[in-house]
Amino acid sequence: MNALRTYSLATLLAALLLVPAAPALAAGGDGGGDPNAIGHSADGYYMDFSPLGIVELPRILLVRRDGALGLDVFGSTHAALDDGYRLATQDGVALTAEQIDDTILDHEYLYYVLTPADGEVVLDFSITRQLVWVFIVAMLTLLIGLRLAARYKKGIGRETAPRGTFQNMMEALIVFIREDIAKPSIGEKYRKYLPYLLTVFIFIVLGNLLGLVPWGVTATSNIMVTGTLAGFTFLITQLAGTKDYWKHIFWPLDVPVPIKFILIPVEVLGMFTKPLALAFRLFGNMVSGHLVIVSILGLIFIFAAQLGTGVGIGMIFISLPLTLFIYVLKIVVSLVQAYIFTILSAVFIGMAVVDHHHDEPHMAVTPEPAEESHVLGSSFDEIIHGTGDGVTKTPAAQPSLAG
Amino acid sequence: MESVALAYLAAGLGLLGAALGAGIGIGRLASAGLEGIARQPEAVNDIRGTAIILAAFIEGVCIIAEVFALVFFFIA
Repeated sequence: MNALRTYSLATLLAALLLVPAAPALAAGGDGGGDPNAIGHSADGYYMDFSPLGIVELPRILLVRRDGALGLDVFGSTHAALDDGYRLATQDGVALTAEQIDDTILDHEYLYYVLTPADGEVVLDFSITRQLVWVFIVAMLTLLIGLRLAARYKKGIGRETAPRGTFQNMMEALIVFIREDIAKPSIGEKYRKYLPYLLTVFIFIVLGNLLGLVPWGVTATSNIMVTGTLAGFTFLITQLAGTKDYWKHIFWPLDVPVPIKFILIPVEVLGMFTKPLALAFRLFGNMVSGHLVIVSILGLIFIFAAQLGTGVGIGMIFISLPLTLFIYVLKIVVSLVQAYIFTILSAVFIGMAVVDHHHDEPHMAVTPEPAEESHVLGSSFDEIIHGTGDGVTKTPAAQPSLAG
Repeated sequence: MESVALAYLAAGLGLLGAALGAGIGIGRLASAGLEGIARQPEAVNDIRGTAIILAAFIEGVCIIAEVFALVFFFIA
């Protein structure tokens, strides 16, 4: 009985959480197009506040007419259509005037490509919903940073204990990033890179979590956003690179000369694949969560269409709790992915700023006696360079062997 | 039409391979990590940190494969 109550409560909660998602899916179902899971999590030129309605976003297009470039700015896609713009399908097939009227009546014009009546679009600067949320997340990150900095400048937290929920919460986070991410991964020079790591962590956490709020859009489920973040890591890594770092890439030591010519392209490729994997990892994790949720909800409609409405309604009681479970998982994934992005950025930066002592054999790990904060960095380095057995060598583990 | 079907098949097979590989990889990582922790419970924090990073690497390969599978869906 108790279990049943918990179960129905969970279903109800899931239903409340997913109110915004379901009508949008249903609308996609009977709006002529296929119920499209990918389309739902993709970018768009409007903000979906259904069932309340849709807010169209400004369109900014760089258009070439008779060889001259001009900027066309419209308040919405509808305004652009009123101004003589045409529509085309994704494949570039132009719609006739009648078809365009139909799409306006059906509110489907947002899914087509906007083309000017004369001339061609060179660049589309239109503001999309994911971009809007990137702005919101960036503003929030800025706000958090500035408010916190102002407090510490006044001395609250430095001379006294931190005061208030906000500062205590953020200080716990900042200390975690400094002690558990920056110091072990980068080493002594961590101070210079801590602001970047903090910014990127707060930005990704906010971007991931705000996508789970009803009507929210995941800013980080866009490859351009994650690519930009990974690009920052790439730039910082290359700019921070010491002489040893470049030597390691272009003239790897301790290997025979023929092997070097195999290793150099691999190392150069590795420079680019690392940030690329960072971008893809965050993007893929964020998109896949949305896809799974929409797919599981879509099962309701698929079953209803295939086996009758009754089965579809029955499917709700399986789908919604399952979606709730994925939702909870996504909260965990949001935090873990932000952590992974930050710690990998820190590890890459740490690899670049490290000073090897090249008069010593490269494979031998520089002894770091009883320095707890170096444990992660050095053991990671060992694993990467194949000495293996890195974990058992940690100083913390030594006494246990003796005792 | 046939090429569309082949693209869907390629995406499905790609997902299969990615899930299989990542599952084996993370499974091996977890087993090695647990053995390590069982042998030396003191090193649990270091093992956890390293394991999360390595799991992220393995998962990264899987995610890249999934993104390419998605690309096949888009093409189809």
